[in-house]
Amino acid sequence: MAESLSARNIVKHYGGVVALSDGNLDVHAHEVVALVGANGSGKSTMSKVINGVVVLDQGQLLLDGNPIQFASPQAAKNVGISTVFQELSVVPQMTVAENIWLTREPLNQFGMVDRKAVNARTEELLALFEGTFKTDLNPDSSVTSLPPDEKQIIEILKAISFDPWLIILDEATASLDSRQVQRLFELVTKWKENGKAIVFVSHRMEEIFRIADKFSVLRNGRTVGAGNIKDINEKQLIKLMIEKESVLGFLRGEAKSDAKVEKEVSLQAENLTTESLRGVSFKIHKGELVGIGGLRGQGQRHLLHSLFGDVPFSGTVKLFNKEIHFKHPREAMKNGFALVPGDRAKEGLLYIRSILDNLLLPSWRRYGLPLNVNNAKKDATQTGSTLNLKMAGLEEPVSSLSGGNAQKVVIGKWLMRDPQVLLLDDPTKGVDVGTKAEFYALLNRLSDEGKTILFYSSDDEELVGLCDRVFVVYDGMIRTELAGETLTKENLIAASLGVAQHERATP
Amino acid sequence: MKRSRWDALTARQPALFALILLVLSAVINFIVQPNMFARETLNSNMRVFLPIILMAIGQAIVILGGGIDISVGGIVSIVNTVLATRVGLEGSPDEMWKYIFVSLLIGLLAGAINGFFIAYLRLQPIITTYATSFLYAGLALFILPNPGGGIPASIAALYRDSTPLNLPLAFYVIAVFLLIWLYTSSMRYGRFLFAVGGKAEAAYETAVPVTMVQFSTYVISGLMAAFSGIAITMLSGSGNGEIGGPMTLNSITAVVIGGNAMSGGVGGVAGPVMGAITLGIIQNIISFANIDTWWETLVKATIIVVALAAPGIISIFRRRRS
Repeated sequence: MAESLSARNIVKHYGGVVALSDGNLDVHAHEVVALVGANGSGKSTMSKVINGVVVLDQGQLLLDGNPIQFASPQAAKNVGISTVFQELSVVPQMTVAENIWLTREPLNQFGMVDRKAVNARTEELLALFEGTFKTDLNPDSSVTSLPPDEKQIIEILKAISFDPWLIILDEATASLDSRQVQRLFELVTKWKENGKAIVFVSHRMEEIFRIADKFSVLRNGRTVGAGNIKDINEKQLIKLMIEKESVLGFLRGEAKSDAKVEKEVSLQAENLTTESLRGVSFKIHKGELVGIGGLRGQGQRHLLHSLFGDVPFSGTVKLFNKEIHFKHPREAMKNGFALVPGDRAKEGLLYIRSILDNLLLPSWRRYGLPLNVNNAKKDATQTGSTLNLKMAGLEEPVSSLSGGNAQKVVIGKWLMRDPQVLLLDDPTKGVDVGTKAEFYALLNRLSDEGKTILFYSSDDEELVGLCDRVFVVYDGMIRTELAGETLTKENLIAASLGVAQHERATP
Repeated sequence: MKRSRWDALTARQPALFALILLVLSAVINFIVQPNMFARETLNSNMRVFLPIILMAIGQAIVILGGGIDISVGGIVSIVNTVLATRVGLEGSPDEMWKYIFVSLLIGLLAGAINGFFIAYLRLQPIITTYATSFLYAGLALFILPNPGGGIPASIAALYRDSTPLNLPLAFYVIAVFLLIWLYTSSMRYGRFLFAVGGKAEAAYETAVPVTMVQFSTYVISGLMAAFSGIAITMLSGSGNGEIGGPMTLNSITAVVIGGNAMSGGVGGVAGPVMGAITLGIIQNIISFANIDTWWETLVKATIIVVALAAPGIISIFRRRRS
């Protein structure tokens, strides 16, 4: 069994995006290292480098001090490195036992899978979490039928089934309940005593301080701090995660928030509930730019999609004091709503169709029957120039555009309808800095024109710099609302992590 | 609670629907053709069904692995024309055995070509095998432009009239292939096949050799198509460059009726075998009941639609209830 693994000066690019620019990590047997950082700081990439899922561009991995390279997940497995993947690696159609033992099935002398042995060993593993299952979980249960927490436990059991010495837990506790987390931590403590090493990737401060011995902080792809957990407190740790100076030079419109006070309420929700939202209430004013923050997957997307009539919900939503309850995006569009979805390739654009087709997709009806293509083209050209869309021509396919310009087409197709309420789901994801700045200017302008904008972003800095107010969503609820002086990055991150709100940030 | 038990049952026994259909169609067939279980009748039916059954076994493997093979009909045609032109009506049994061996190699090679494009070059299965289906069908017509040729009558008779222990030869052939499937599916390969068809990325992250497994399914399918071609040549005794074409869709239908998910990862081989037999029986019923043949298409199509739509319809009802 190995004693230590070190990652030194790791660099990893995905296309033009730098995921890691200087990643470092040291893990030793008998210890739990918490790998922390804000959204997009490179935590997941770091764990994927260590487990061989991605190949690093530069830098070095050292196993017990000796350089080592992993060409595939199998290579990392061979030296005893195992991962609990955030996006589970289980095959839903297969049973619990089949999943746990996939590629390592015990065989009998005829080369057949020894079902008895498989089931017996699976029972042993399941016993580790005995008493925390809601369903009658057994080795033959099909994974599809399990609730998310039990799927997560199967993923954990799968990772430990070959007795690795290093276990990477990537957000493994996110879908577990407190009893299951407790059990997992008892196991982690035991593994530690037995000489295993654990990398604990998590957003939850409370858990980090409960289980970790050491910490390592990533910020924008660089390791900016590491040490013993007992030498640091929550506040200091959060501070490390935050960028010191702002890279982006945008700012809120001068004195904008003052003018907001007397404006009328445009969009109002009471007790909005869906599968992943647990009673969300808010009021937004006309011309207000409101951000939605928080960790990924806390229900932000559901909030936007339910307002757009895309996801069924219960509760009351009012637009200018008139109750609305859209059952289909068509109704939302008629009432002046627009949604810029999070996955532009999948939901936002017809990738192989022309820019013209994409821009006009929601508005063709306006151009009569037969279509007045000339008028349509004129309008599209105008929208294109308003957005400063860089393209070879309207007939070119959207797939020929860069990420930022493609996103402009998504926004443009809604702008052509002159929406009153604009819902945006992380619109600057994978967009270059220049285009980002243009977006910010555009959003500012739209809100000045009196549009209501609700804007989810995984980029905390952007929320702080751009929005009038920010709703921090945690576990399906608006946990905290930040505005004015309380709207600082520090408070935003603290609230995202579910930490009780700190008193005002020290300057 | 009852519902979940039913779910568990259908999840574990995806072939249940196929079994019910098989029994149902057999009962109807028995009514219109009371001597259907007599040795002669049973044998003459089964020897007609066997080529599709063999093809459906190969198709089932490909579909389990998350792909589809539309070129199997073309492979059957090649094998048929090769046997009919190389062996000939006056050929010796030795020649026949030799070319049966050659046929199997042709099947393996054709399957390997499909597998190479799909698994290694990552082309879409449906497009790739659609393209190669023309390649293979064209090759068959090149070998034998007009129907003709044949194989020795003695060999054909061996296939047509053998009934060891008073059971049709086809039963033994099916039994052999089912046993092979039972064995391989309980080996590690079986798990890999289901994992790749179920969720290829998860399989990759778990270090399953995804590409190899995908490749192998097309090779197996090509081999089974070759067996199917040999069987249909022995059945007809003659050559026809277009003989395999119409069989492709039937093999896919058999797999669907057999309870395998078109998306892969769910099902087996016994279901598709029953599905293929059911298809044959339906054809039988229609020809015996003296109904117009368009009924056959209608009935088949209805069964496919029901089989495909069943899961969706069930989930709609469930949503209503909750």
